[in-house]
Amino acid sequence: MRLSVLGSIILHSLILVFTVFSLPIFNDPKIDTPPIIQIELIEISKVTNVPEKSVQKSLEEKNEEKEKKEEKLTRPISKPKDEKSNKKTEEVEDTVKKVEKKIEKKMIENMPIRKPQTKKKDMFDPLKLAELIDKQKDTKTKIDDIPEKDYEVLDSKPSLNKRLTLSEEDAIRAQFMQCWSIPLGIPFDDTMIVKIKILLNTDGTLQKPPEVIQHERMNKPSEKYFRTLAESALRAVRRCDPIKVPEVERYESWKSLQLNFDPREILRG
Amino acid sequence: MKNILLFLIFLIPFSFNSYATIEIDITEGNREPLPIAITNFFHDGSEKITNTDLPSKIRDVIQNDLESTGLFNSIDEKAFIQENKSLHLKPRFADWRLINSQGLVTGDLKIEDERLKVEFRLWDTLAEKEIEGLVLITTPDNWRRISHMIADKIYERLTGEEGYFDTRIVYVAEEGPKNNRVKKLAIMDQDGANHKFLTSGKELVLTPRFNPVRQEITYLSYFKNLPRVYLLNIQTGIQQVVGDSPGMTFAPRFAPDGNKIIMSLAREGNSDIYVMNLNSRVVERLTDSPAIDTSPSYSPDGKKITFNSDRGGSQQIYVMDSNGRNQKRISKGSGNYATPVWSPRGDLIAFTKNFQGQYFIGVMRTDGTGERLLTENWYQEAPSWSSNGRVLIFYRETKADSSGKGHSASIWSIDLTGFNERKLVTPGDASDPSWSKLIQN
Repeated sequence: MRLSVLGSIILHSLILVFTVFSLPIFNDPKIDTPPIIQIELIEISKVTNVPEKSVQKSLEEKNEEKEKKEEKLTRPISKPKDEKSNKKTEEVEDTVKKVEKKIEKKMIENMPIRKPQTKKKDMFDPLKLAELIDKQKDTKTKIDDIPEKDYEVLDSKPSLNKRLTLSEEDAIRAQFMQCWSIPLGIPFDDTMIVKIKILLNTDGTLQKPPEVIQHERMNKPSEKYFRTLAESALRAVRRCDPIKVPEVERYESWKSLQLNFDPREILRG
Repeated sequence: MKNILLFLIFLIPFSFNSYATIEIDITEGNREPLPIAITNFFHDGSEKITNTDLPSKIRDVIQNDLESTGLFNSIDEKAFIQENKSLHLKPRFADWRLINSQGLVTGDLKIEDERLKVEFRLWDTLAEKEIEGLVLITTPDNWRRISHMIADKIYERLTGEEGYFDTRIVYVAEEGPKNNRVKKLAIMDQDGANHKFLTSGKELVLTPRFNPVRQEITYLSYFKNLPRVYLLNIQTGIQQVVGDSPGMTFAPRFAPDGNKIIMSLAREGNSDIYVMNLNSRVVERLTDSPAIDTSPSYSPDGKKITFNSDRGGSQQIYVMDSNGRNQKRISKGSGNYATPVWSPRGDLIAFTKNFQGQYFIGVMRTDGTGERLLTENWYQEAPSWSSNGRVLIFYRETKADSSGKGHSASIWSIDLTGFNERKLVTPGDASDPSWSKLIQN
């Protein structure tokens, strides 16, 4: 009975110790997540959207610098022609190997036994230095090989920072506000909102005539006020043609727009 | 196979995301009047027109009507690029867009069998299409009415609500010193044209009101120093007394069906609301209060009546059912409220308010909420609605100086925005206006 109780206590304490040392939440420092504010996100997207090529270039430059440093480290020692010098170099090579082995041993000994795997990736591993250099070389050639046009293809792929920023949305909104003559005679009605879908060309011109989504309502004889509102909105879209648009690189993000012409607050009086 | 399907289902939201349409809400816009080009109506000269200025006169009437609403801005014809001759065949829309015109009015004018035939078209210059067209035939003398009807069509097509240009205004024309005023009934088109007097001025006339369905007026006139309610047919000129009951009658107004008159009748020092059936001449009492109940006005569906009463200590606006039940005070603000008039749209009640020595014309919802004062002045009262419930006319007096000079009365109009205030042109002093519905015949 005693033995079994003791055994249970020992086993439990072992499991406890094991969890304390093994689970990442006990070792890992807390991840500092900055507070997400919408405006900040937009700023980020604005920054990341515009100079993507330059960011890639700076990455390339960093890679090149790394390569140069690593080349210095792994540069093959040129062998001297005479035997003496050969011997000397052999000796030097031996000492280097010994030192390296010592370093290896020390590194292995000093290496933390259990660390979260996510962090390991970022850590410098001298054992895989050569591999890393090879990979860098590969990536460099890949970046160089990408033609200019393909950046656009990359850009056209959907991602968060390809969306319109608020300021870009505002710029488009402001243009339609200028073009829209509100029919002020319409009485207030909570359903008085006209939704228009437009498709734009890269230069901001209309690809096809604007389309009222609620076109069925527009054609009803009892919906005279709605028709008037819809027609005023269509006039605004045509009057604004072509609109000033954000950069062509992000064409996919703004080529299709839904404009909601909503005069309810104005008509409420 | 199952895995592939699951993978495809997993991809669906991403595919939507990649082609998502961005929504942009446009909640503000340009509040400037809509720029519109109204051209001279084309006449090829093949037939003789006695009034050679007719094409430009028709244009002017349409232009004045539309501009008076404050919703349209007629572009100066000097800016027009396309000439009338080629315009007659087809508009060059780019030319009209160039001068910032969003609407274009063109027309043809012909005389056929001594009758005037006017054909008009309204174009959307941005959509490049005709959005309204009409042919009107009448005697050449009737060109003003045709012009108003065209303006009504344009207004209706571009604002969505019925126009109010082919209408008339009846009012009390005043002249002479203030202590001995001569008051005559007068009628004119809403733009001041075709003015004429309906009574001679021997008897004092007050509160003329249009019948909403017939060319008929009810008004109050003093006969042997007693006020009586009269009916006057505008087309035939026949006049008859409708209320000759003991006591004094005031503030008559037609019911929406035009077959009843609601009024205030004072008996033994107590004024209450009564309704008279014009066919049977039966009078029915609707209120029974020791206070002064007056200025009744029906809702457009005829189910409710608004009136003012001082039963609560001060003059306020009340609403009741058409049978006199469920009387309820609706005005809540400070000051005295008078002359409530139910809007033809049914959503608002217009009133005169006296507060801190100033007079206001305002509107409130039918439950008394949403009070908005549209205009303020030293003295003004008696609002009357346009047929579409968008504009009010009322009269305003100017203060006389210490010598008694400088007093005048004139008719003004204001729209529901409170920004478009205009003075109506009358030959002399004018008060107590009433606006007709669209003439329609």
